[in-house]
Amino acid sequence: MKNPVIVLMIALLGIPFAVAGEDPIQQREELMEETRDALKPLGAMAKGERDFDAEVVNASFAVWKRAGAQFGDLFPEGSESGGGTEAKSTIWTDREGFDRALAEFNEAVDKAMAAQPGSVDELKPVLGGVTKTCKGCHDGYRVKDD
Amino acid sequence: MRGRKRAVVGALLILIGAFWWFSRPVPLSEEDLPDHLPDPANGERIFHAGGCASCHAAPGAESRDRDVLSGGLALDSPYGVFSVPNISPGMKHGIGDWEPLDFANAMLRGISPAGRHYFPSFPYTSYARMSISDVLDLKAFLDTLPASDQENAPHQMVFPFGFRRALGIWKRLYLDQNFVMAIDQEDALLERGRYLVEGPGHCGACHTPRNRVGAPRLDQWLSGAPVMEGEGRVPDITAEGLADWSEGDIGFYLETGMDPDFDVVGGDMVKVQENMARLPAEDRQAIAAYLKRAGTGAH
Repeated sequence: MKNPVIVLMIALLGIPFAVAGEDPIQQREELMEETRDALKPLGAMAKGERDFDAEVVNASFAVWKRAGAQFGDLFPEGSESGGGTEAKSTIWTDREGFDRALAEFNEAVDKAMAAQPGSVDELKPVLGGVTKTCKGCHDGYRVKDD
Repeated sequence: MRGRKRAVVGALLILIGAFWWFSRPVPLSEEDLPDHLPDPANGERIFHAGGCASCHAAPGAESRDRDVLSGGLALDSPYGVFSVPNISPGMKHGIGDWEPLDFANAMLRGISPAGRHYFPSFPYTSYARMSISDVLDLKAFLDTLPASDQENAPHQMVFPFGFRRALGIWKRLYLDQNFVMAIDQEDALLERGRYLVEGPGHCGACHTPRNRVGAPRLDQWLSGAPVMEGEGRVPDITAEGLADWSEGDIGFYLETGMDPDFDVVGGDMVKVQENMARLPAEDRQAIAAYLKRAGTGAH
């Protein structure tokens, strides 16, 4: 997934997703994985490990835009446990807060897209705005066990 | 018969007396305070290193409101529910009327201005390793923050942990101002890292497992522990636990919240990371340098 071409292809084509009857735990874990994979090249740019590339940046934003539109449906009642889920019970006991945290992510992604960062120095604050909303949700709605 | 009764009563009295003596608070006195002009700017740096706002800001407070250290957060533990107190400069319920000596005793000895033991949910076992001048600077910075007159809620302790006097014995056993990890050569960066991690940063409060009476197990320093307030595990942050992390990775994580796999920080570490992000880069580097050596020289 580090290959920018692959990232771009995923963004352009979109992954055929949400096949009816598929396990929501598996689906959301895959979607979360994609979300994180889209962050990898951008994080590496911020870290100074790779050169800034606007196309790669836009491709990642597109992945997040799509993921953000889907996450809300992937935590139905009955998917609270199993499949090695890291989802915390608070998602179901405080659905409103969870939905709000997701909405904040979507807003941050929209802002990032509108900002059109053209250099790593412009990317850093934009990226910080998005990852802040990742934390916002990981803070109260995810359990880490390693 | 009467003689035996007397002997028993006498032995009991001696025991109680010994308990009372060994459990007494041993505060600092004015002579222990250095002649020091407090520097609130350094105090702010210590404030972020210690993450005071993480516990003492009102629960759920955002951005600027996090400067109002009104307390009120409930910390659930096997020993009871601790209610985090108001440490704003409020005169009535805050610490606005505290003398520098009062504050030093709270931080370094875990003793209140009234001379009572604090519960170690307030992590003075770590703060005891701080320099007095940093403690005084911190107080000077806290005094610049907004005052709150929010009243403190009482702790709700599980029997028998509510008996504060017994904490004097606990402190004799576990309150140790010596550093945990030995550093052999003179290395200013490493020394700074050790100071931040073991002192104000109180990383061991969550990352080190505790024994049955809640004291950190120094033989398993920073090697990870169950989350005290719920599900999950606090990770191992010794050199072994962080084997896949470079020092640069640790610094970048503390600055941005992204780990080497670009997973984004979660749980209680979010607030810690955001505090660490406000430190100068050299402090994060120092912490990284220390952690990459932790677990190897601990006693």
